[in-house]
Amino acid sequence: MSQGQFSSASGMLMIALSFFFFASSAFAGAGEGKKAFDAAGCAACHQIKGPAKEKTIKDALAKKGPELWYAGSKFKKEFLGGWLEDPRPIRPMEFYSLTKTNQGNHPKLSGKDAADVAGFLMGLKAPEVKDSGIKPQENQRGRIIFVKKQSCYGCHQVKEKGVITGGLTGPSLAGAAERLSPDWVCAYLSNPRVFKPVKDMPDYAGILTDEEIRDLAAYVSNLN
Amino acid sequence: MKMNISMKMTAIAAAAWFLLLAGASAFAAAAAENYRFYCSQCHGLGGKGDGPNATKNMPVSPRDHTSKYEMEKLTDEDIINVIRDGGAATSKSTLMPPFGRTLTASEITAMKDYLRRLCKCKAQS
Repeated sequence: MSQGQFSSASGMLMIALSFFFFASSAFAGAGEGKKAFDAAGCAACHQIKGPAKEKTIKDALAKKGPELWYAGSKFKKEFLGGWLEDPRPIRPMEFYSLTKTNQGNHPKLSGKDAADVAGFLMGLKAPEVKDSGIKPQENQRGRIIFVKKQSCYGCHQVKEKGVITGGLTGPSLAGAAERLSPDWVCAYLSNPRVFKPVKDMPDYAGILTDEEIRDLAAYVSNLN
Repeated sequence: MKMNISMKMTAIAAAAWFLLLAGASAFAAAAAENYRFYCSQCHGLGGKGDGPNATKNMPVSPRDHTSKYEMEKLTDEDIINVIRDGGAATSKSTLMPPFGRTLTASEITAMKDYLRRLCKCKAQS
C-alpha cells in the first residue's frame, strides 16, 4: 500500500469511526431521553406512538394532553428543551376544557432531563410532514386569511401590536415562530386527520387551496 | 299462536316506529355532543353566546342560540348554510368558521334541529 493509499484508508476509517461514535451518542441521548420521559410519567398524558387512536369525540375528550408521536416534526428543538425546563401555558384553557383555565402546572424537568427528553421527542417524526420549502415570513396573503377570510384569531391568541388578543380554546399562536415548524403547520392544515382524526378545530383542507395553506403556514410560523 | 295479517302489520308498524324514535333520539344525542365539542367554544355550553372564545376584544359576539328574537330571523336554510360554509355564507362575520369539511350533511341538519330546540322557535314566515 502506498503512503497515499494508506493516508486515504486511514481517513476513511476516521470518518467511519466518527460517524459510529456520533450515532452511538445520539442513540444514547435518545435512550436517556426515553428513560427520563418514562420516569417523569409523561406517558400518562402524552401518546408517543402513532398512528392517532381517537375515533370519537369521547375518545378525544378522554385525552389528557396533546399527542407527541410527531413531536419531532412539529416542534423546534431549541423551544422544546427550554419549555420542558420552564413550561409556560401554550393553551389558555386546560386541554379540551371549556370551563377551566390552564393553571400552568405542567411538571418541570431539570436542565439535563429537559435536554434529554427534547432529544428523544425530536426523534419522533411523522412521514406525512415533508420538507415543504416554506419559509416563515410576514406573508400578506397568509395574514388576510388569518385575520379576515377565516378569522383564525377567533380561537387562537396572537400578539397584535404588543397586546395578546384572540380566542382561548385553541393553542396560542403568539410565539409560534419559536415553537412550530412551518412544514408541520402546512401538513396539519393539508391533512389534519392523520394527526387528529377528531378535533374541535374545523378541517380547512378542501376549503383553503394548497397555495392558501402554504401562505397561511408561512404566516403562522412567523408569529411572534 | 299464529299471527294474522293484521297483527303482523301492527307489529311491523310498531317496530318501524320504535326504530324511527331510536334513530331520532340518536341523532339528537349526536347533535348535542357535536354542539358541546364544536359550537360551545364560542356559543357556550348553554348556547347563550358566552363560550370561552367570546372575549371582550372580539369585533362581534357569538349569536345567542337561545334567543327566539335572533334565531327566528334565520331560515332553516340560513342555519344550514352558515354551519356548512361559515359566516361569510350569510354575509355575517367570518369568526363563524365553516364546518362543511368537518360535519356531514346529516349532522349539520341535525345541528339545525338542535338549534331550533335551543331557541324553541321556527323561522319567521
